[in-house]
Amino acid sequence: MTRRGEMLDDAWYMDYAAGTLKSEGEDVLMAAHVELSDEARGRVEELEKIGAALLMMAPENEPLPFTADDLLAAEGALAPLEVGDVTRHEAYVPQALGDFLQRIHKTIRWEFLGPGLNKAMLWTGPDGEKLWLLKAQPGVAIPQHGHNGSELTLVLKGSFWDGEQQFCPGDVEYADEAAAHDIRIDDGGECICLALTRGKLRYDNPILKLFQVFTGL
Amino acid sequence: MYVALDTKDAGGHGLGIHRQQGGATGPVAASSARLTNTELAQLIQRIAHRRDREAFTTIFDHFAPKVKAFLRRRNVSTALADDVTQEAMLAVWRRAEKFDPSKAAASTWIFTIARNLHIDHFRKQARAKKLDEHDPHFQPVGEQQPDELLSRSQDVKTVSEALSVLPDEQRMVLELAFTEGLSHSDVAERLSLPLGTVKSRIRLAMQRLRGALGEVE
Repeated sequence: MTRRGEMLDDAWYMDYAAGTLKSEGEDVLMAAHVELSDEARGRVEELEKIGAALLMMAPENEPLPFTADDLLAAEGALAPLEVGDVTRHEAYVPQALGDFLQRIHKTIRWEFLGPGLNKAMLWTGPDGEKLWLLKAQPGVAIPQHGHNGSELTLVLKGSFWDGEQQFCPGDVEYADEAAAHDIRIDDGGECICLALTRGKLRYDNPILKLFQVFTGL
Repeated sequence: MYVALDTKDAGGHGLGIHRQQGGATGPVAASSARLTNTELAQLIQRIAHRRDREAFTTIFDHFAPKVKAFLRRRNVSTALADDVTQEAMLAVWRRAEKFDPSKAAASTWIFTIARNLHIDHFRKQARAKKLDEHDPHFQPVGEQQPDELLSRSQDVKTVSEALSVLPDEQRMVLELAFTEGLSHSDVAERLSLPLGTVKSRIRLAMQRLRGALGEVE
């Protein structure tokens, strides 16, 4: 790989590796990112070694009320491991996302979002966080907009440009309230992204603002 | 959820083995004889290939008390820590063939199993709005100074040596994340530091550790 992927702050990888991300939405998006990006996976593996080192330094000051034999005896009574029915997803769906959708019994249903744009809502968190998919046709431009919260966008398929920066499968873009976007989908093919949004998008254009009322984003 | 290991059918809710304290392993079990990474990996492979109970017992004695201690440091109740430890060790027994010694050390693999099971539990609790485990008034048992922790190195010498040469302020951030289970924003709050300062400490720590971590067996 010659291209350097678009990555997040190390703090994100630390939170992922330590298991301290703030929500299931973040768990899923980060797991999918780590699955798709070699660089992200490398970063997380380094941090997991630190986790393992600190695990082995944990002070053992409480006894375990069971032994290996107890566990094996109880295990014998359990049903053998079964491979459950696995929902087949399209190729762009990373395993981490497919497993999550299966667990929450959700199927991907595309809805109209705008010309050349579709969305599929997947999950809403207790704090109003939304995990959703965006599908955009080649060449579509999403005009200048901001956010009233933050947004993480992971590319699953195709690519887009934000200004001069290109985002390809596995890349993540983080946008906070201060960030302004000017997004254009690559001409090469459709682009599908997994997005996690806190707060609503903020369009400066009044027509888009009106449009937002209908789309719910 | 996490891609590192699929633990979802490791046992569900623990095996419910709850004996009287001190029954099985005595007050505080002495940790098993020093085992190298290679020996630990071979033991897990013996479990995978031959369902070797003796190998499992050695792995159990080496890791189970650490997993419980690790969970207790994260304010998990004794009962839940016992359950999660059982599930984690059961996952080692049932899924030993998923362990790939070329990718991770045994301790790193087991760390990711314990972490994922812990996440599953607290997400489940959050969904059920039972957050008493994470009540900030509940003080963890056996709180220790970071320096004390570092003297307890076992088979993780390289990483712990690398950690020990980090400046205190950088090492502290990693320890709070992994041992106390704080996210980077929680760390900032705990240390009364701006978020940006915590992020840059993580970044600097990772830069310093990268060289050392690459050499870990």
